[in-house]
Amino acid sequence: MTLNWKYIGRRFGQMLLTLWIIATILFFVFRLMPGNPLTAYIDPNFTKEQQEILLEQFGLDKPLFQQYLVFLLNLLQGNLGTSFVYRDDVLRVVARVLPNTLYLMLFSLIIAYVVGVLGGILLAWLRGKKGETVGIILTLFTRSAPQFWVGMLVLAIFSFRLGWLPSSGTGPAGVTYASEWAKFTSPVFWKYMLLPSLTLAIYLLGLPLLLMRTNMVETMEESYVTIARMRGLSERRVMLKYAARNAILPVVTAMAVGFGYAIGGNVVIENVFSWPGLGRLLVDAVTMSDYPLAQGAFLLAAAIMVFMNFVADLLYSVLDPRITVEDMG
Amino acid sequence: MSWKSKIASSLLICLLFLTLSGGVIASQGDRVIRPIYVITRPQSSAPDEYETLSYLTAMMTELGIDARLRVVPWEQQSDLVWFERDRWDIAGWQMTARPERLDPDEFIYNLFHSSTTVDGYNFIGYVNPKYDAIAEAQRVTVDPEERRELILKAQEILVEDAVYDFTVHPMISIVYNTDVFAEDSVVDMAGMGIRNFWTYINIDPIGDQKAIILNSGETVQAINPFYISGTVDSWVYELIYDRLMRMSPEGLPEPWAAESVEWLSDTEVQILLRDGMKWHDGEPVTAKDVKFSFEAPMTGEVPMYKPFVDVISRVEIVDDLTLVFHLKRPWAAFEAASLAKINLAPEHIWGPLFEDLKTRPENAESIQEDVPIGSGPFKFADWKFAEEVVLDAYADHFAAPKVDKWIVRFVTNMESTLGMIQNGELNFLASYSGDASLLENLVSRNPMLSMVSSVDLGYRFIALNHNRAPFSDPAFRKALVAITDQEFVVEAVWKGYAVPANSVIAPALEFWKNDELKWPQGGLEQARQFLKEAGYEWDNKGRLLYPSGQVEEHTPSF
Amino acid sequence: MIEMTSILEFFRQDKFALVGAIIYILFILVALFAPAIAPYDPQEMVRVDGRIAFNREPEKNFKLGTTNMGRDIFSQLIYGARPALTVGFTAALFVMVVGTVVGLVSGYFGGKVDSLLMRLTDVVFGIPFDPFVIVLVSFLGPSIWNIVLAMALLLWRDTARVIRSQVLSIKKRAFVEAARVSGASHSRIIFSYIMPNILPLSLLYGSLAIGWAILTEAAVSFLGFGDPSSISWGYMLHDAYVSQALSRGAFYWMLPPGICIMLLVMAGFYISRGAEEVLQPKLRSM
Repeated sequence: MTLNWKYIGRRFGQMLLTLWIIATILFFVFRLMPGNPLTAYIDPNFTKEQQEILLEQFGLDKPLFQQYLVFLLNLLQGNLGTSFVYRDDVLRVVARVLPNTLYLMLFSLIIAYVVGVLGGILLAWLRGKKGETVGIILTLFTRSAPQFWVGMLVLAIFSFRLGWLPSSGTGPAGVTYASEWAKFTSPVFWKYMLLPSLTLAIYLLGLPLLLMRTNMVETMEESYVTIARMRGLSERRVMLKYAARNAILPVVTAMAVGFGYAIGGNVVIENVFSWPGLGRLLVDAVTMSDYPLAQGAFLLAAAIMVFMNFVADLLYSVLDPRITVEDMG
Repeated sequence: MSWKSKIASSLLICLLFLTLSGGVIASQGDRVIRPIYVITRPQSSAPDEYETLSYLTAMMTELGIDARLRVVPWEQQSDLVWFERDRWDIAGWQMTARPERLDPDEFIYNLFHSSTTVDGYNFIGYVNPKYDAIAEAQRVTVDPEERRELILKAQEILVEDAVYDFTVHPMISIVYNTDVFAEDSVVDMAGMGIRNFWTYINIDPIGDQKAIILNSGETVQAINPFYISGTVDSWVYELIYDRLMRMSPEGLPEPWAAESVEWLSDTEVQILLRDGMKWHDGEPVTAKDVKFSFEAPMTGEVPMYKPFVDVISRVEIVDDLTLVFHLKRPWAAFEAASLAKINLAPEHIWGPLFEDLKTRPENAESIQEDVPIGSGPFKFADWKFAEEVVLDAYADHFAAPKVDKWIVRFVTNMESTLGMIQNGELNFLASYSGDASLLENLVSRNPMLSMVSSVDLGYRFIALNHNRAPFSDPAFRKALVAITDQEFVVEAVWKGYAVPANSVIAPALEFWKNDELKWPQGGLEQARQFLKEAGYEWDNKGRLLYPSGQVEEHTPSF
Repeated sequence: MIEMTSILEFFRQDKFALVGAIIYILFILVALFAPAIAPYDPQEMVRVDGRIAFNREPEKNFKLGTTNMGRDIFSQLIYGARPALTVGFTAALFVMVVGTVVGLVSGYFGGKVDSLLMRLTDVVFGIPFDPFVIVLVSFLGPSIWNIVLAMALLLWRDTARVIRSQVLSIKKRAFVEAARVSGASHSRIIFSYIMPNILPLSLLYGSLAIGWAILTEAAVSFLGFGDPSSISWGYMLHDAYVSQALSRGAFYWMLPPGICIMLLVMAGFYISRGAEEVLQPKLRSM
């Protein structure tokens, strides 16, 4: 396994290009949308004059192209503008909630992929039996249920009927974690994170599970597995030692992509569990017509996705050398 | 925006064409009322508005009007109603309760005076010189009894002209935990419910839990004494920052940080500050701070508070604890709208910040202190973004609260709040926009919960655009009022948790409310009567026609 | 081309696909005959003895009870099949067509066209889906067609990539080479040799997209950006949610729309899973 630096460099360049295009699209979409961006401030105290001051303050009075150049220039310096509602730097607002979103995603992905890989092995083991059919049906169930619906039911049962777990937020009222690290290592925080991440994991686990199963079944047909089997190794050993090892590689790659997908998918979960994260912030920003904030949150989510796609491609090229640069486009 | 003007010009051409062709085929068709678009927010964000207006739409159809319900998001609705005042016909709207609205001035003057038709709150375009005169007079009539007569008269005119199609004053229903708090320690404030300042300083913890934990669906946007941001923000800054006066539970301004408030003349008010008040950082509160707090909004840096200090010509410091406010003209609402509105902020902190602002394009609204310092009964402890704000009791305050913490949690999931008040994650359900009968049910099943319902100061109404015929005609407006069956709205939409409204003044304001208003009701029968009397007719297809001689001159709004 | 007999054969061999197809047919029938099946207009506030019958539990007249505004839940459920299927099928059609065309053109012609289209696909892959739908719908207005538009704009990305790699491998096969050598035109090669081989794959992605579309519509409705004029299952769930159906114990309101969504989405998975096995005969031989 050698790293193809030329490929990595090219892929990195493509990533930057993609980001620039997304930023450009976002800029124009947000500026061209119908409605007056000042609507959020309807107040009798606002005279025409004050509205103009506001327009100027947010740079909305300049020609569109000039606004775009300013936007790009600011973007390069990490300046995403000022939130209409919070009157604060967008990046700072977003940075407050980003860790919560990342924890939630990471935790649910770990649950989903651990359970998914094990479940996939189990289903491959059970192939041809009744258990396989039942397993597949169950898995497809988890993938077909609306996330918020599952979330609501989970809340109703575990939080309100049984009272086992808290229903919202990242910690008990009035309790402050000393630092991000203290929070991340606190059992209390994990207790608050359990329900939302379980709900998200239920949704996410279908992909790794079915992928793992298919890969297992495929690799078990490969000649080296057949040889191993002929050498008289037990079926369990063959499965775990030979088949599972190889079948897991594409699942690892899928996880990187899954990470990117999850950042879009947790919008709903964060709202159900009042989780202070990026998805909820984005929905709030859109509802309150806070365009700079919505744009910033969106851009960040997109950046994470693009980056994870990049990571996935690299992993793929490293783990599966058969893929050449040409094939990847 | 150029594309907007392009659309506008193409519309204009179409209009021209239509008018020309209309001129050729002049017929009875011109008297048919255009399709009327009834604008409402979606059922999801405003279920009551949606249901009320879809009901009205159905009733209008019965009356022979081609009424069409148009659901638009809030931004679009407010954009249209507020900025394009000659383009819409009917829209759902509401006025919410705020402490300063306990004084009738804002509702009586700002909503209906002709001076606010262009870009103020009179977006319906109501113009009546007789009304203007009364609205102006009540502003400068400082004697309460005399002013009351004017306010009663104003309400009468508003009913005669059927300015709004009023629907209801909702009930504010709030649940709290009586295992945690003594039952009689909450304060029901006129038109505001028990979710108010007085409850927060009076509520008495009787068990181990000493913190009041309440909820809000919205998050706090800013904690800044010079920025009027969201509703929940105001709960927070009302507690951190003191004011010279506060609106009492009865809805009248009473001295607070001021020991006394004395009118020396119609334009001079003398304030004596309480002795011994301290900011949360230990510095004393002085007359200089007060002067600063009122003068800062007079600059351009505090746009939102500017209207509340506009009437002040100067603030004179007599001694460390005494000041005299000199007014440009008498203003009856000065105590409620200015003395009880302006947050007292420490000059030693904000003075330098304002100096700094002079050189920057931003204004005071963009400043967020890490630890906001006020002199109120609670002091800032922590703000976890999009999650909660924690305030600690300020034991040195002259009205120190009985709880030791005040915590507001931001819960987006309304259904969750019902579970949380039962499992103890909350002990005070401060904001709940759902079905109140569920709360009642909840309380009857849980002996530890108690509920207080009070009639809201705010109200819901259907805004009719007076700028566009046929809504410019009071008779037509009365017909719409008559078909808006308030009993139905109360029963079906609000499940009984509302009272019919007929005035901008809530029943809770006993002193100001006119009890003898005759609100037109009577359904379709009565509505047809109103219309016939005003000359409206129906064609053979049952379509409503303008009175003869009048033709349709507006285009549908969508 | 796929022939009728081979389709029948496919369903006969794969029980999963058969179940999926049956579910689809059932829902399509329900949607078609909704006015005949549903006892009430889904928007009507039903009155009993002159009073609006709100918050009724299931009974003879109201099989699944009524909403807090007195609307018959069973009737809403029946009518809800219409927008669900409309959104599902139109979105799937767009996803299939756009994805297949992009993948086909990109894979077949290669070179500059290929890298341009693949860069475009990269961009689309970088856009988070749910946020995108919310932004688009809040800008263009809440309508199921805008939700469909959002899906048409984004979800073709997976299909395009898969189709492209499939085209790349087919292109190298002997029979395509032979056709090319014998001087067949591009359109002939594409339509006669390549299309038949990628059609099952694009159908597979299409049936997955149906599920995506229905789930997305539900999620968008839940967040309050849904189309208020069409009573879909997502709308019903949202209505139940904002009316605190769970707190009032109205499981007869909260559960059925969710179950319908699950069944319909699952039907798509069943069919595609079946198709997947047909596509990889290697697996079937076991």
